[in-house]
Amino acid sequence: MKTSINAIFKIFTAVLLLASSFSATAAEPLKIGYSDWPGWVAWEIGIEKGWFKEAGVDVKFEWFDYVPSMDAFAAGKLDAVGMTNGDTLVTAATGGKGIMFLMNDYSNGNDMVIGKPGITSIKQLKGKKVGVEVGFVSHLLLINALEKNGMKESDVELVNVPTNETPQVLASGDVDAIVAWQPSSGVALKQVPGSKPIYTSKDEPGLIYDLMVASPQSLSKRKADWIKVVKVWYRIVDYIKDPKTFDDAIKIMASRVGIPPEEYSSFVDGTKILTLKEAQMYFKKGKGFTSLYGSTKISDDFNVANKVYEKPMSPDEYIDASITLGL
Amino acid sequence: MSNQYSAGQKLNRRNSIVFSILSFVIPLLIWSLISYVPFIWHPKVEITEPGDVDYLSKGMLLDREIFDKEVDNAREKSLAAPEGFRANPVYLPAPHQVATAFYTAFTAEPVRRDEKWLHESLWDSIQVIFWGFFLSSLIGVPIGILAGTYGIVAKLFEPFIEFFRYLPAPAFGALAVAILGIHEAPKIAIIFIGTFFQQVLIVSNTTRKLDPMLLEAAMTLGAKRMSLLWNVVVPGIITYLYKDLRILLGWAWTYLIVAELIGTSSGITWFITQQARYKNFENVYAAIFIIGFIGLSTDLLLAMLGRKIFPWDKATVNA
Repeated sequence: MKTSINAIFKIFTAVLLLASSFSATAAEPLKIGYSDWPGWVAWEIGIEKGWFKEAGVDVKFEWFDYVPSMDAFAAGKLDAVGMTNGDTLVTAATGGKGIMFLMNDYSNGNDMVIGKPGITSIKQLKGKKVGVEVGFVSHLLLINALEKNGMKESDVELVNVPTNETPQVLASGDVDAIVAWQPSSGVALKQVPGSKPIYTSKDEPGLIYDLMVASPQSLSKRKADWIKVVKVWYRIVDYIKDPKTFDDAIKIMASRVGIPPEEYSSFVDGTKILTLKEAQMYFKKGKGFTSLYGSTKISDDFNVANKVYEKPMSPDEYIDASITLGL
Repeated sequence: MSNQYSAGQKLNRRNSIVFSILSFVIPLLIWSLISYVPFIWHPKVEITEPGDVDYLSKGMLLDREIFDKEVDNAREKSLAAPEGFRANPVYLPAPHQVATAFYTAFTAEPVRRDEKWLHESLWDSIQVIFWGFFLSSLIGVPIGILAGTYGIVAKLFEPFIEFFRYLPAPAFGALAVAILGIHEAPKIAIIFIGTFFQQVLIVSNTTRKLDPMLLEAAMTLGAKRMSLLWNVVVPGIITYLYKDLRILLGWAWTYLIVAELIGTSSGITWFITQQARYKNFENVYAAIFIIGFIGLSTDLLLAMLGRKIFPWDKATVNA
């Protein structure tokens, strides 16, 4: 009796060991999380065309909502995820350290401050209420808008609103302006006739960079694979930039988010998808918004000032420009 | 002399069918009236011709008062006045729009290779529900029956479960992803958490309703523990248990939307939230109706099955 129990136990451990060693040796696909933002939806083109396979890299893209995708990355369930540079710092502060190594785009008008009918400039917002998701990228845009107009955050009253509810909040008339990105910003403009964008990310290009961010372990262990991923990305960029294939690119992207292509192309306009040359330029060290380093430093200052996290972080620790600059 | 319309009386067969159908037709009728008869509500104007008002564009919905003001305004300044027709807000599409959306949702071919047909997404959702509910029942029903029969089991489990059932299942989302990954497992876990604790309490309560005389009689006749449970308790409550599970299955469905928002976007929820984000509300209504149809038809099916399995039970037969 005792021996048979022993035998069962041994077999059981052997199976477990075998299973664990098997999963460790087999090269797993790179798991990448992405969400509903034109610069990341564009990955769909590479997936649909089978370009990753052609490049000889095994990837598995997982479609998420933006915040859950960051949660999954922080929990160690993904090798990489699409994030903004500011949110990369926020995620790192909560334990999910990531390295920005690929630049998809910067927001070029898709993020907007929208005034209700009658409000046409940031200056008019003095003493007024603004609906914004406090502590996140929209908040950053608002502060930037105020500073450019010689105002301070205390000049307006912030009302904390989740970004996807901003259209209803503006329609309710309880606030004088909102801050939102597409598709919420477009919906707000349509739902509240007479409302106007009074400041957009186009007024400060480089405030919001959208990137692919990988875990440090994965980036160092699978570097050769990540280089292949970056190469596929620039094949995608060419496909979007080429007028001959633009329509097909939009068709693939629109189907990912489940809306008609005509409707989707307007969202793409507010996103500046970066060519390799442009990305290499913004990956160079520098101050201000024309460098990812400078822009990230500004996000860091903003995050510390707004108590999103306590201690300032160094952008250098979260950027690896070598892959992009090496192409 | 009481007729079938008096309190506590059963309707005859023809009438019960007529009124069952009416319970669907009346809401549909109200919806159609509000949608198709302009003077009932229609608080907006859909612009067909923007005229000289710079911020208007074709297809935009404008409040009626503002529209009237703009028209007066334009007339005063002798500019081209905007034109349009009365319409309902975007969140109340007309029945035919929803019907079209319903049809196209199923017939629209996937554009991308890895995209799913709607019925495939639905099947994913149904599997999540099934596994969540199945695992919950596998553990919950035996514990419930034991707790309802033996005081010691009740005291051992129920106080903690009473505590735990107040913790909202959606709050475990991020935790479930951290432990179970990003695919189906955390979603099934949420359905499980949402169902299990209620299930144990409901089953144990149902078990307690069993006539104690039956237990005493069985024990006097020398029934042992196992045979008491199998031959007296379970047969005694089985028809009520079946009804409890039917109700609990409906409960599990209500957790589906929350569960599917966790981890990767999938199933019918992905369809609903995405279409809502872009304000395509006719698609949202269509998807909500699909869930309703599936729920109702499952329940009818189970009720029919119940009549076949438990032909002796009057309440089930009449359900």
